[in-house]
Amino acid sequence: MSLRETFSFILPDGSDRPIADICKEYAKECNKKILFCILMCILSAALFLITLGVGTYDISIPDAIRTFFDHILGNPVDPEDDYYVWGETIGRVPRAIGAVIAGIGLSIGGVIMQNILRNPLAEPYTMGISSGAMFGATLNIGLGISLIPFLTGNYASIGNAFILSLIPLSIIVAISVFRKVTPVMMVLTGIAIMYLFDAITQIVMVTSSSETMQNIYMWGIGSLVRFNWDRIPLVAAIVFALSITLYFCSKYLDVMYTGERSAQSLGLRVNFFRVAVLILTSLLTAAIVCTTGAIGFIGLVAPHIARIFVGSVNRYLIPASAAFGVMFLLLADTVAKAMGGLPVGVFSSLIGGPLFLYILIKQRRNAWM
Amino acid sequence: METDEGYDGLIAAYRHQTLRKVMLFAACLIGIVLAVGLLSVNSYRSISLMESYEVIWNHIIGNEYPLRSNLWWADTYIWNRAMPHALAAILAGAALACCGSLMQSLMGNPLADPYSTGISSGACLGAILAIIMGISVTTMAGGGTVINAFIGAMIPAAIIIILAERIRMTPATLILVGTSLSMFFGSLISIIMVQTDPDSLQQAYLWQVGNMNNIDDFGWDCIPIMLIITVVGSAIVMMLTKKLNVMSLGDNSAQSLGIDVKTFRTLALTLMAIMTAAIVSFVGILGFVGLVCPHIVRLICGSDNKFVVPISMAVGALVLLIADYISVTVGSLPIGVIVSCIGAPMFFLLIIFSKNSGKGALY
Repeated sequence: MSLRETFSFILPDGSDRPIADICKEYAKECNKKILFCILMCILSAALFLITLGVGTYDISIPDAIRTFFDHILGNPVDPEDDYYVWGETIGRVPRAIGAVIAGIGLSIGGVIMQNILRNPLAEPYTMGISSGAMFGATLNIGLGISLIPFLTGNYASIGNAFILSLIPLSIIVAISVFRKVTPVMMVLTGIAIMYLFDAITQIVMVTSSSETMQNIYMWGIGSLVRFNWDRIPLVAAIVFALSITLYFCSKYLDVMYTGERSAQSLGLRVNFFRVAVLILTSLLTAAIVCTTGAIGFIGLVAPHIARIFVGSVNRYLIPASAAFGVMFLLLADTVAKAMGGLPVGVFSSLIGGPLFLYILIKQRRNAWM
Repeated sequence: METDEGYDGLIAAYRHQTLRKVMLFAACLIGIVLAVGLLSVNSYRSISLMESYEVIWNHIIGNEYPLRSNLWWADTYIWNRAMPHALAAILAGAALACCGSLMQSLMGNPLADPYSTGISSGACLGAILAIIMGISVTTMAGGGTVINAFIGAMIPAAIIIILAERIRMTPATLILVGTSLSMFFGSLISIIMVQTDPDSLQQAYLWQVGNMNNIDDFGWDCIPIMLIITVVGSAIVMMLTKKLNVMSLGDNSAQSLGIDVKTFRTLALTLMAIMTAAIVSFVGILGFVGLVCPHIVRLICGSDNKFVVPISMAVGALVLLIADYISVTVGSLPIGVIVSCIGAPMFFLLIIFSKNSGKGALY
């Protein structure tokens, strides 16, 4: 007779339940969570294929999917179709892959930030990363300054954006050398830096010509069109490496979730861990933001929605948010393309805003509120 | 038990505190008078600072100058150009700072400002509909933007007030709801902005940043509405300051001290929404005044709203006047940009050096 069958668990009302029952129930719960992740992955895959057939170039969805698989399998395909589906600058495959990468990165960034800052409003951009990136791009588009020498055009914008989006992080790290960094301090520093960057961006935008201003404005609204085959390998490598690293931290993140004191007494070096995770998350977000601009709301909403279905255990929450984020971003991008090529950043907030409002009003027993 | 000496010390300390508050208030008033003079000199260069006060005073008491003399021209310029500017800056600054301290006490959150409810995005959407798409509710020449912005601002405010009435909401939830509303309206704005031509985009962006173009165009016509709403609104807020002090202790304490928290919050939010909407629809979305001015005052003279509200109003008026002066002098930068350039570093320093910022509470 095994241990599980011998012992039973006494409930508050006095009756007792065998531990085996409880274990079974727990396994069932876990299966449900895994099922959610799988469902989201299947939906994402379906949307990935559907989005190939949506856009200004007229090609039906089945044709686009056929072209996609023919290209992979090396079968001959119509060159024009191939150009539009797989091609270099306006291809739909790189854009869809971009959506997958950005969806994963931003959602995981959101989960981690909400966890380490212990704040339901936190998102990957809370530290001012997006404002920094925007400021970097503004420097290049408006004033022609490149912080990394020898870069020009789009690449200079990306380089500037990457460097400046890491400024808030470096300030936090610098402060953490001298004193203990509390979550509230992190948020406030992020907000302050955000305002500073935004103020300078505003000056450049207001004083530049209207065409330049339009370019800067368009950069600021998140868009997936800047993903092309040159950039995908690098961004994908960074995002996947950091995401996997963060996934392996999920146990420690669970401990962090119990609160600072409990975490400390459970043997976690809270302050060190917080700053270390913040570095990883900032790099993850910066890699995405400097290519896409600020795509809002994914990082905020995806973790909240995933939390409704799978709860707050990070082992499940991280993959579930990532899968949901990918699904959401692909959906938003498909809608954006169907509406005549608007940037995806517009639609992610348009769908995400009301969704978030609904969650706020309906979600009574949420641990965060 | 206080000894006599301790008691005297306490009284002395209290007097010292009060003196500081009065000094700050007086300094702001002097600053405002000085800035009004400078603005006047700026509008008509060939008079001195003292002469400008003389001209203003003579106009108020009804003295007139001989037609087309130097001072007659000065009078015309100052009265038609500088004074509406100065008054608009004073009223906007006072109203926004007043609403800012109201919101921060009401929400118990140091980062709340008049725009936390999404009013700014709603107003912006209304204005942009008029600027870019030419859709407006009135046919009044030029008034379309103003009225559109006012109606736009009332939409998110109404949603949030109705929600606050219907369901039990903590201040934190209210701010979250405000954020999501402003995100939603923000995305509608972006949809319009990305599809328009560069020139309309620039015009719309300038509105969004906050500028005095309306005042330049309509002069005195803008002032009465702003004046009435600001004066009445801030008078009501002044009467509510005692209750606001209790509210900033938190919902539970306020309730147990006998305040009907829900009704009070609804009323205060409505008042704040009307005041902010009225200001914003004339001058665009001027950031930072509502957020930073109350903090500056709290840092210097504590957080008793009886003092925070009036002194913030004076500080807000002064800050906007200075920004307006710089903007008029520089010429190409709208007032909103100047405000954020002054405000952002101030906010940064405030957070870094404030001893209590780590606690995240209203100090």
